[in-house]
Amino acid sequence: MARLTTRHAGRSAALWGAVFGIYVISSAFGYASSYPTAAARHALARTFGADVAIDSIIGPAHRIDTVAGFVAWRSLGVLSILGAVWGLLTATRLLRGEEDAGHWELLLAGQTTGRRAAIQAVTGLFVGVVVLWLLTAICTVAAGRSPKVGIPFGPACFLATAVCVGALVFAAVGALSSQLASSRRQAATWAGVGLGVSYALRMVADAGAGLGWLRWITPLGWVEELRPLSSPRPLLLIPLFGLAAAVTSLAVAVAGRRDLGVGVVEARTRRHPRLALLGGPTGLATRLALPVVVAWLASIALTGLMLGNVAKSAGKALTGTPALHRWFTFMGSHGGAEAYLGVGSIVLAGLVALLGSGQMTAMRTEEAEGRLDALLVRPVSSTSWFLGRVGVAVSAVMAAGLVGGVTIWAGAATVGAGVGLPELALAGVNLIPPALVIAGLGALSMGWAPRRVSAVVYGVLAWSFLVELLGGVIRANHWILDTSVFHQMAAAPAVPVDWTSDGYMTGLAMVCGALGLVGFRRRDLTGS
Amino acid sequence: MTPAPIVRTRGLTKRYRGTDALIDLDLDVGPGEVIGFLGPNGAGKTTTIRLLLGLIRPTSGTAELFGLDCRREAVAIHRRVAYVGGEASLWPGLTGAETLHLLGQLNGRVDVDYREELVERFSFDPSKMVRAYSKGNRQKLILIAALMARPDLLLLDEPTSGLDPLMEQAFRRCIHEARERGQTVFLSSHILSEVEALCERVCILAEGRLVDIGTMAELRHLSALTVEASFDGVVPDLSAVPGVLEVEVIGRSVRCQVSGPVAPLVRVLADAGVHTLLSREPSLEELFLAHYGRSAVRPVADDAGTAIVD
Repeated sequence: MARLTTRHAGRSAALWGAVFGIYVISSAFGYASSYPTAAARHALARTFGADVAIDSIIGPAHRIDTVAGFVAWRSLGVLSILGAVWGLLTATRLLRGEEDAGHWELLLAGQTTGRRAAIQAVTGLFVGVVVLWLLTAICTVAAGRSPKVGIPFGPACFLATAVCVGALVFAAVGALSSQLASSRRQAATWAGVGLGVSYALRMVADAGAGLGWLRWITPLGWVEELRPLSSPRPLLLIPLFGLAAAVTSLAVAVAGRRDLGVGVVEARTRRHPRLALLGGPTGLATRLALPVVVAWLASIALTGLMLGNVAKSAGKALTGTPALHRWFTFMGSHGGAEAYLGVGSIVLAGLVALLGSGQMTAMRTEEAEGRLDALLVRPVSSTSWFLGRVGVAVSAVMAAGLVGGVTIWAGAATVGAGVGLPELALAGVNLIPPALVIAGLGALSMGWAPRRVSAVVYGVLAWSFLVELLGGVIRANHWILDTSVFHQMAAAPAVPVDWTSDGYMTGLAMVCGALGLVGFRRRDLTGS
Repeated sequence: MTPAPIVRTRGLTKRYRGTDALIDLDLDVGPGEVIGFLGPNGAGKTTTIRLLLGLIRPTSGTAELFGLDCRREAVAIHRRVAYVGGEASLWPGLTGAETLHLLGQLNGRVDVDYREELVERFSFDPSKMVRAYSKGNRQKLILIAALMARPDLLLLDEPTSGLDPLMEQAFRRCIHEARERGQTVFLSSHILSEVEALCERVCILAEGRLVDIGTMAELRHLSALTVEASFDGVVPDLSAVPGVLEVEVIGRSVRCQVSGPVAPLVRVLADAGVHTLLSREPSLEELFLAHYGRSAVRPVADDAGTAIVD
């Protein structure tokens, strides 16, 4: 059992470790070549050192006038989140997902108890985290040996540890939620909510609104306080490892006590018929998607409210910053709250696009798991199903954009940040086209390469996000920057909305969708 | 003039990368017929049905239902067709009642009284969530959903998988009723007894090709029993007994096939002092190996045997 989970976890850890390593290496060398002189580096430090906007999104910048400090700042913020997401998804897949698929029944019919099986699975997971750490460390050390970068062995390993400890903690959280929830999706959702709350707390703590103490109640805050490569505090690893160990022990204890296939929190098995929306394929799709979409809208609303709330004080900190830096010229800031929100909009854009990606993946899953058969053997045309399902996805994305814009205004209004509703509503609408492009690509894949839908939508999303966060600062070639869907989006409300660009993106999405429909109509239905 | 066939295929072929799933199928099924489609796993039965439903495209050849092309006019065809598959994939978050309502709405027509009667007959509890149903119950759900529409054509692909014998009887009663109402039934199965009990005509598929087709009477060799008997004393010579084919002696036991009346064989066995007697239907694999000599057909687990005397 340990070997099985080790193999699965190890394989995906190897892939992600390579991604992390490449990210670290490109940060290091990109910085070294973009800011070769001490003067350039000091200028960067001055600008970003007071940049509360970026601080709250990926963590405060310490000593970024050195290569080491910059690499640490960029890597920690982005990779610890990615690592945490990997950790919880892998944990829920290997514990809950395998169990739900019935694979554990064979093993537990043998000599293992539930507890021992859980221990073995967790061991495999742990080995995966170690593989992740190993690859990140190797790449960091290798980059560090170059004279342009100059990071010694010890601190390089500490950076790798700081980056991967988030993965460890949230893998443990995923293991625990696998025991409590009654399905893999529920387990992943609960763990994801935990991650979201931790991130939100850290984000608010770093927004310069005087809530710095919040940093100490979230594990992501502790990760940030490790400060690798600037003023390292390795002792903070102890509470992090301790938390991971405690949560894992709890997960194993619960595993020993519950029945196989059932979570501690049992799902209902019986109810009176609720016939709403069950009149046709689109109604069905709406009803099935509703709980997930509502949860996403709530998360986006909360994020919007927080961003709006914090905008005023964050904006004040930004107003004094000299608008010299290239990064600001990307945005052409008005200064103040709008500038902060312009940066925050990329987070919201990411969330809206994630919602769209999830919807397209769900569309493919209906076919892969055979449920689409039940619809298409009846007088339901494949065209009407396809358009209906895509329509539900697009409506969800549109609602998400509007909700984002409006809740930012609501949050800002409570502190009197003075940003108008029309401006923010339009900024919300502006979030929609990049998500539409990703959904369109998903529809295209659904028509021509159905087994790749999930890889396409999440791949484009992840790539775009990484390019945004890294490319801007290391002055990457504009061809690379253009491959990010978020790059085509103007950072409203910091700058006026670029309707032409939005129009092109929407047009592209529609073309992809139409081509996807053509492909879907002509191909065979395929299972997983 | 003979009535237009409900199902008509000509040269229907489906080729996947590296595999020929179905080769050159020519088939006609008239209205009101109950036709069986027999074959081992991988013979092409499911592929045929999916082609008829328009879920997959043929590599070559044509398939028509009610005179309409299966792929291009799928929606019009599906108004008159109901399908039951062996793997019930349904929505775990809905209850049985909600699923029946939804599928009824999608069908466009439901005989509500008949639906209630079917729920009773199959002892089905519609208030449970689909994720809480056992496989047998999920199968009952899709059976009820198909039968309640009173379709002109029933396409059934291993419809009783997971059903206990009582429910199997309920199913057979439903098919008899459908036949009396003039509905056409296309039953694909690897269970010989079911096809024998329900179907007038039988097609046999092996490795993607139609190997044999005819009425049950024409294919009477399908109704041969396999008999295994063991003796305390001398094993008698059975080769002269009328109806007995293929005698095989193993130590104190003898195995043979018998078709037609079994009385002569039983008399000979009783006279010889038979110790144990086992009789079972031959599995399809045994039939194919015996009659068509296809060594490429891979044997599958036998159906359960029935002991008569111990």
